[in-house]
Amino acid sequence: MFRKVLIANRGEIALRIIRACRELGVATVAIFSEADRSALHVRLADEAFCVGPGPAARSYLNIPNIISTALITGADALHPGYGFLAENARFAQICSDHGITFIGPAPRVIDQMGDKANAKALMQSAGVPTIPGSGILASPDEAKAAAKTICYPVLLKATAGGGGRGMRAVESSADLSSAFASAQSEAEANFQDGRLYMEKLIVRPRHIEVQILADTRGEVVHLGERDCSIQKPSHQKLIEESPAPGLAPELRDELCNVAVRAGQACGYTNAGTLEFLVAGDRVYFMEMNTRIQVEHPVTELIYGVDLVKEQIRIAFGEPLGFAQSDLSPHGHAIECRINAEDPERDFAPDAGVVTAVELPGGPGIRVDTHLFAGLSIPPYYDSLLAKIVAVGRTRASALSRMERALAETRIEGVKTTTAICRRILEDARFQEGGVPIDFLDEAFMREHVLTEA
Amino acid sequence: MTFDDQIESRVRALAETLVREGLEAVSVADGKIEIELSRSLAHPDELADPPGQQAEAGPGPEYDVLTSDVVGRIHFLRPPVTTGAAVDSDRELAFIEALGVRNPIRSRGAGRVAVVYVEEGQAVDYGAPLFAIDRSRV
Repeated sequence: MFRKVLIANRGEIALRIIRACRELGVATVAIFSEADRSALHVRLADEAFCVGPGPAARSYLNIPNIISTALITGADALHPGYGFLAENARFAQICSDHGITFIGPAPRVIDQMGDKANAKALMQSAGVPTIPGSGILASPDEAKAAAKTICYPVLLKATAGGGGRGMRAVESSADLSSAFASAQSEAEANFQDGRLYMEKLIVRPRHIEVQILADTRGEVVHLGERDCSIQKPSHQKLIEESPAPGLAPELRDELCNVAVRAGQACGYTNAGTLEFLVAGDRVYFMEMNTRIQVEHPVTELIYGVDLVKEQIRIAFGEPLGFAQSDLSPHGHAIECRINAEDPERDFAPDAGVVTAVELPGGPGIRVDTHLFAGLSIPPYYDSLLAKIVAVGRTRASALSRMERALAETRIEGVKTTTAICRRILEDARFQEGGVPIDFLDEAFMREHVLTEA
Repeated sequence: MTFDDQIESRVRALAETLVREGLEAVSVADGKIEIELSRSLAHPDELADPPGQQAEAGPGPEYDVLTSDVVGRIHFLRPPVTTGAAVDSDRELAFIEALGVRNPIRSRGAGRVAVVYVEEGQAVDYGAPLFAIDRSRV
């Protein structure tokens, strides 16, 4: 096993990785920014090195200082967590060049999957269903021709895009020219790259993803799906659960088999997630995340597999300790993300000092968090404060445990998403299950969140 | 009060005296116990504003604390700089080796070395204090 793992991250995921290492008997090195000097991951790791000032670009993304820390401390592996450098192929390559094992897939695979067009082409060739789309569109006329084959409604997207910028939904050819012009200028302004392509607009889909694990001998298994359809208007996930409620067994099998095939096709190693849009009985590959995901505990609770430990074992070259036939889900798990955000202000991040913390517990509740009373939340990073995960024999029991857990939760000093998660759990459509990704639409927000002006 | 509690309350009272009076060390003894407390005054915050001395006349020391902005190992030049040594402006005192690159640590003005915080070959991280230069003693 590795002697020492450097954790190139912060917050709850840094703690999660430290815990996995400790259970495996592996020493840990934390890195931190000046804004995180009193953070829990700094205290719980065996060693901790400050790598820069608060802004992430100068600390958690400071590749020279991070690599130097690994070399000085004699860390033989590095876990990137999620976000920051987790899907940076160049960083993974630099680690390898310095003799440090990057706990994740090979740089080549990260690179392939990080480029959306590239990933899509690779998936198509492996027989994975993808969203019908076009290549780069040079002009509105080219876009019109493409829309004819793809069929309206369509979505114009920026190749360099993200966060919905440079994106336009188009219902008919009459609106295409003006949408093209505005998407292009928005993409140029935001990404200095105005190139656009087109995709079929999948109407009111669900977001369902499949967890895979792959070892260095080419064994690939799936650990079922997660339904992540409860998303903020910015498409960031808020509530995730597994199994996906009401998903037809044959559709579930198709998704899982496709995910394994995709993993095999790209020579994947380590933990990864394939994200799909599901509309009716059609599934479309969206993208592959080549990292551990925020919502991984949902899968861990119903499969009884420690995904982070598996990541470390796989990176060390150990074969998977189980076959697909050994894996079966038990019960139902659901996760609520408690973020330092103000739902009344479009989920704007809230920074400040957490003055009081009371976290839930009891049967079937897991809380992954770096919170403590007195913690000062810096303005520089992701706003995730805690992941509350409930597991039960049935979906109904998991939901009632979650409702109970959210009622026990008290976090003061910053605005959080606790209350909106409670409103969602109380909603009859959510309780029925299988809602699409636009569930948290304006109407929901108006009814449950926004106070009357 | 148990014996341990007695010791604890006496140590606490002594520690408060130590800080209040700006002392570096204090010791007391009676027939049963002997307590000696000492502390390092090398912390830059205390250096910049030594407790109990604000009222004294004349300009106090002006410390310029040089810190590391990389993660690496510090190496002194030969002969190694020591406390009390006079330095002029822009003098290389040491260098931090990081990823095979030599990052020189230079004084930012003339003065005397008041504190050397590090030892040869020590690992230093971002922001680690390396030297305090007393700029009032040129």
